[in-house]
Amino acid sequence: MNLIVLGLNHRSAPVEVRERLAFAEGKLGEATCALLNAAPLYEAAILSTCNRVEIYGLANNATEASQAARRFLHEHHKLADSVDAYLYERHDHECIQHLLEVACGLDSMVLGETEILGQVKNAYHAAQQAGATGVVLNRLFQKAFSAAKHIRSSTAITRGSTSVGTVAVDLAEKIFGKLGKCTVMVIGTGEMSGVTARALQSRGAGTILVCSRTHERAEALAAQLQGRAISYDQWPAEFPAVDIVISSTAAPHPIVTREKLIPLMKTRRQRPLFLIDIAVPRDVERVCDELESVYLYDIDDLQQIARDNMSAREREIAACQVLIAQHLQRFAVWLEGNRAALEERYRNRVVATSLPKPAPTHAS
Amino acid sequence: MTDRTFLWLAQAFYAVSCVLTLRRLRAGGSGATLQRLNYAAMAVGFVLHTVFLYLRGQAVGRCPLTNLFETQAFIAWAAVLFFLLIGPSYRVSFLGAFTAPLVLLICLAALILPVDVVQAQPATRSAWVEFHAAIAILASGAFALAFVTGAMYLHQERQLKRRRLSSSFLLLPSIEQLDTINIRLLIMGFAMLTVGMLGGLVSYHIVGHWTKPKIIWAVSVWILYGALVMGRGLWTLRGRKVAVASMASFVLMLAGFWGVSLLGP
Repeated sequence: MNLIVLGLNHRSAPVEVRERLAFAEGKLGEATCALLNAAPLYEAAILSTCNRVEIYGLANNATEASQAARRFLHEHHKLADSVDAYLYERHDHECIQHLLEVACGLDSMVLGETEILGQVKNAYHAAQQAGATGVVLNRLFQKAFSAAKHIRSSTAITRGSTSVGTVAVDLAEKIFGKLGKCTVMVIGTGEMSGVTARALQSRGAGTILVCSRTHERAEALAAQLQGRAISYDQWPAEFPAVDIVISSTAAPHPIVTREKLIPLMKTRRQRPLFLIDIAVPRDVERVCDELESVYLYDIDDLQQIARDNMSAREREIAACQVLIAQHLQRFAVWLEGNRAALEERYRNRVVATSLPKPAPTHAS
Repeated sequence: MTDRTFLWLAQAFYAVSCVLTLRRLRAGGSGATLQRLNYAAMAVGFVLHTVFLYLRGQAVGRCPLTNLFETQAFIAWAAVLFFLLIGPSYRVSFLGAFTAPLVLLICLAALILPVDVVQAQPATRSAWVEFHAAIAILASGAFALAFVTGAMYLHQERQLKRRRLSSSFLLLPSIEQLDTINIRLLIMGFAMLTVGMLGGLVSYHIVGHWTKPKIIWAVSVWILYGALVMGRGLWTLRGRKVAVASMASFVLMLAGFWGVSLLGP
């Protein structure tokens, strides 16, 4: 009896291949049942995200099951050519380890991202509701969820933002606290400024003003952000009420200068001002940050912080692996203790929903 | 076992709190358990600290403010009191991280230096004198916490300006929150100090034993904090400047008190 995972991810396969093998979210349960019919698997679950497609299963014979599962993928997705070159396969301990790493975000494109845990949960629930999981996968997935929770809370693997938009949000929150009362002004309608404004909005930023040299573009972005478009010459007039400025114009010279800022800061009564300058060439004179209560970050600063946070996460990998090894060990002990009983059950092709007698439990 | 033992024991718990904070920082700030343990350590320290003040009060037969040692212990006690009240209600994370070391410093200086000497006290007890002194000391507790939030403000502000974020950056509160709490503490402290000063005026008339340097010191502290609160209220002072000023004022106040106590009368 073997645990097996067969799949591909962002490292093993390009997106053109991944998208051909992806399963629609609403049809996961159906697909898992089809897989059980097509392959000699006792239990199965399919995980499908934009970065990975993986089949988890419990089989009597790993080689047979793997061949059948590969055939299933080929036929289910009506592929013309073989994708074997992109697939990886892990058995038993390595399979358990893989699922634990995936659930913790260690195997993700953005190391330590947390979305993957929800996706693994969805995959599990779909398979469970379709009746495709049994004693072993139920326990394996549940242990993976609690391991992920444990590892997230006791290491820094998810800490620190790793994208420009979220780094800007973190900084804004460390300046203003809750963003509800903050007014954001977007100058210039580049893609990054939209992303950053949206990130601030998702964390509760209040009013959003948009201005651009081309008023139509300002109105379009303002409509997207449910903000208000203002004319380009008006921005200094609106400035006293603004807390956060996202600037990304194509102007060749700085548009926010120290000279303009000094009187504006007086009208704001020295309330903090967060300037996010994502334009190249820059829109805000660097000397502006010499002014008190002005916090100026350009695109390089934000990217540097994102990189620093990423390397901090990388330094946590070893600590995560130690914890993963502990959780893996506990599950492996349980599996070995019940192997005989499970094999007996499955030999008679009885879908096991509970064990006759719980094993001497090392698992907590 | 003297009453001083209880004060030493309280310091042990404040030290435990410091260690817990370091562990929490190293764990990246996670761990609600560590946070609760930290708060509990401060609370136990506070209880022991209170026992010390009670025993000392019994021994001297009045409010335990009869010498420099007792006064310092009382100021530190008031600081912990404000921490225990403000920490949870404003949800200021890591306030204890900065409070515990300050309290330790004040208490250890008083415990180690030979300042616990019996000083001649007027034969008559005056409720006015004790009230005015006690409320002025409570005000110093608020000023101590204003020092703490000021230090936290500068810590966060410096990182924002330098664009280099340490691992503690995301764990500490925002500068706006620190600024808000700081000014509330200053106003609270100043209001209490004003009441204390008025009480002092009355007691000076009744008992008249207050020595001159202490009065000059008290009036200076009142003017110092008055100017700070006014400056902030009139919007000319804000943020970084208030943080620096509230730290400097507290240091000046403490230094001045040591000065007048050791030199005078």
